[in-house]
Amino acid sequence: MNAVTTAAPSESPEQRRFSPLRRKQWSRRLPLLPALSFTIVVTQLPFLVTIWYSLHRWDFLKPGSFSWTGFENYTKPLSDQFFRAAVWHTVLITVGTVVIACTLGTVLALLLDKPFFGQGFIRTLLITPFLIMPVAASLIWRHGFLDATYGFLNWIVSSLGFGRTAFTSKFPLFSVILVLVWQWTPFMMLIILAGLQSQTADVLEAARVDGASSLQMFRSLTLPHLRSYLELGALLGSIYLVQTFDTVDQLVGGAPDARNVPYYIYQRSIGGGWKFGQASAYGVVVVVATIVIANLALRLISTLLEDAK
Amino acid sequence: MKPPKHVTQKRRRAAVGVVLALGLIASACSKDSSSDTTATEAAAEATEAVAEATEAPAATEAPAADTVAATEAAVAADGGSITVAIVDNPTMKDIQTLTPDNFTKQTGIKVNYVSLNEQTLREQVTKSVGSGAAQYDVVMIGPYEAPQFGANGWLQDLTAQATADTAYDVADIIPAVKGALSNDGKMFAVPFYAESSFLMYRKDIADAAGVKIPDAPTWDEVAAAAKKMKTADMAGICLRGKPGWGDLGASLGTVVNTFGGTWWEANADGSIGKAQVNTGGFKEAFNFYTQLLKDAGEPDAANASFNECLTLMKDSKAAMWYDATVAAGILESADSPIKGKLAYALAPTKVTKASGWLWSWALAMPAGTKNTDAAWKFMSWATSKDYIKLAATLPGGWAGIPPGSRTSTYSIPEYLAAAPSFAPRTLAAMLAAPIDNPGTTKRPGLPGVQYVGVPEFADIGTRCTAELSAAIAGNQSNDEALDKCQAIASEVSK
Repeated sequence: MNAVTTAAPSESPEQRRFSPLRRKQWSRRLPLLPALSFTIVVTQLPFLVTIWYSLHRWDFLKPGSFSWTGFENYTKPLSDQFFRAAVWHTVLITVGTVVIACTLGTVLALLLDKPFFGQGFIRTLLITPFLIMPVAASLIWRHGFLDATYGFLNWIVSSLGFGRTAFTSKFPLFSVILVLVWQWTPFMMLIILAGLQSQTADVLEAARVDGASSLQMFRSLTLPHLRSYLELGALLGSIYLVQTFDTVDQLVGGAPDARNVPYYIYQRSIGGGWKFGQASAYGVVVVVATIVIANLALRLISTLLEDAK
Repeated sequence: MKPPKHVTQKRRRAAVGVVLALGLIASACSKDSSSDTTATEAAAEATEAVAEATEAPAATEAPAADTVAATEAAVAADGGSITVAIVDNPTMKDIQTLTPDNFTKQTGIKVNYVSLNEQTLREQVTKSVGSGAAQYDVVMIGPYEAPQFGANGWLQDLTAQATADTAYDVADIIPAVKGALSNDGKMFAVPFYAESSFLMYRKDIADAAGVKIPDAPTWDEVAAAAKKMKTADMAGICLRGKPGWGDLGASLGTVVNTFGGTWWEANADGSIGKAQVNTGGFKEAFNFYTQLLKDAGEPDAANASFNECLTLMKDSKAAMWYDATVAAGILESADSPIKGKLAYALAPTKVTKASGWLWSWALAMPAGTKNTDAAWKFMSWATSKDYIKLAATLPGGWAGIPPGSRTSTYSIPEYLAAAPSFAPRTLAAMLAAPIDNPGTTKRPGLPGVQYVGVPEFADIGTRCTAELSAAIAGNQSNDEALDKCQAIASEVSK
């Protein structure tokens, strides 16, 4: 735009408005506008209202309690041991699931990469967990697999001569990560499979001719090639896993050892606390922290940024 | 055959492009003039989970589909129909079955039931009643909510209507229940059914083990009996261990009361004083409770509540069960495998005279209800003497009627014949429930046995019982759990 104005300073505003560059820019922006305004209405307006609420004391169960408190609500998150625990659990759930799911996804993708009889069928079966609703998956795991009396996993455990274990109450964090890994491994596998299939065969052939072993080829050629795909998978996975609510609620009923930030904020607000002002402040703190961390993470994942340019 | 290199490069770019289009991460990498807008978009997306929870105050979230359908129907019928939010338990299934052919046929009023589980019901009802929305004409609540909501001005005072209707016979409602649903002399809800808690045990197992359980046992006697009756296949006693102020909180609450403990001290003005969770009677009671579960309790107690214990009793996997009196009607129903093998004793005690809880599922009218006449017609029908007789015509028979709400229920010959072992005990338990003086110390807020009648309690109780339940599961020590619980309870101390 600078170029336009300096090159033809004598142009009338009328002419400038219809300059080719502007027109080109607007022809790109215009189709985006409906989506953009919708996004602003459903995300940005509620967020502004949330900030407004966070500066108030608002205890829904006590009519007339709505009053201005300034930043008082913001002093709470730091001193609240349960909030700190929730942040820690969120980190554990997100990182644990992403790391395990990426590893398993890579293994499965490597197995699926070479053609074999029934490949398509097996691939479909492996993808299925990702297509199941999180609530349904949690209930199936809770009652069908992990239950101390009726669970399939406990049937195996007790058949092997070990004692039955109440997984969801004894190991809530483990149970949550287990189910999330089960759900997210197919997603990672799909992304990595796409990466494997885009790897050119001639490089691998050349390496083989030079006498490289399979392990050497994987470490020196395939893994570097897969790096950006792994980063993409980890990034998308993290964005969704940070928000995990269904599994924490339905699988372990918000057990203290697995309670994450979304569940805690729910519990402070409509989940029984009804302290909307305080819950809003927690929400705002999480939003700010997430933006900061997400930007730092994005800068670390350099290859993804280079590709996008 | 693999595609040539430049094509795969493009594909790779396309994959990354998808990410950008999603608007998830665009802020950091895009360099064109729109980067400001996308930055906010990205922030919004990344925090959707948070927004979900925090949007609720604006009351913009869409109600459940069935709610919408029901509300639309209410409008369409022009006052000829009402919307009722109820809890989804077996007794409420009965009234849904009976309504069209009886109530609707007689009055022409169509009733749209919105049946929700307990937690969702509380969220929906509190949100709708508290914000003054006329979403429901009648809501189902309990003695914890009724006096508080009434005091907030969220409910209509039913005293005048109930008293004016002589056929309704308001004096017949069991006084303790009526008192628990009232505040300041105003009745804010009418009981559909009500319950206390008592001890249910297998007479045959007790006899075989040589155990004699008195009619009014102490907790020490019950603990000794549980250890004697326990076998490899059968738990000595089933107790609630599932988090929730209405689950573990209810059972443990009565034990805490009778051990002389309390959640909070009461200040002179009735407000919440210092939390008393990790000391004295509360601590003693919780240690007793967990020890009893360890010695003779059911497996996976941290996940067990009413339904789980009910199943264990029916499967002969538990010899005793301390829980709600309504359970007896189910254990003694015609199709129960252990029908007739049970005996009943009052809620066990320690230092107080009585310890049973008091609960009722009751119907209330939100302040915003327009259709008050139709709403009252429905409420008075559902909680009338006639409805109790009508419910006996269902396959469950007399044993399955809504119990505990009316004194006259306990003089119906057919009911006493169908429920000889537990009907008199239930009435005795209801009358003994120490609603006004549950423990040894003065309580803050409004009267309550297994709960504390202050608005903060539901939240504190639920978060606390989650910690205590984790201790029952063995994930933390009792002292750790009680200390965390003390911290939670201290948040509201004044």
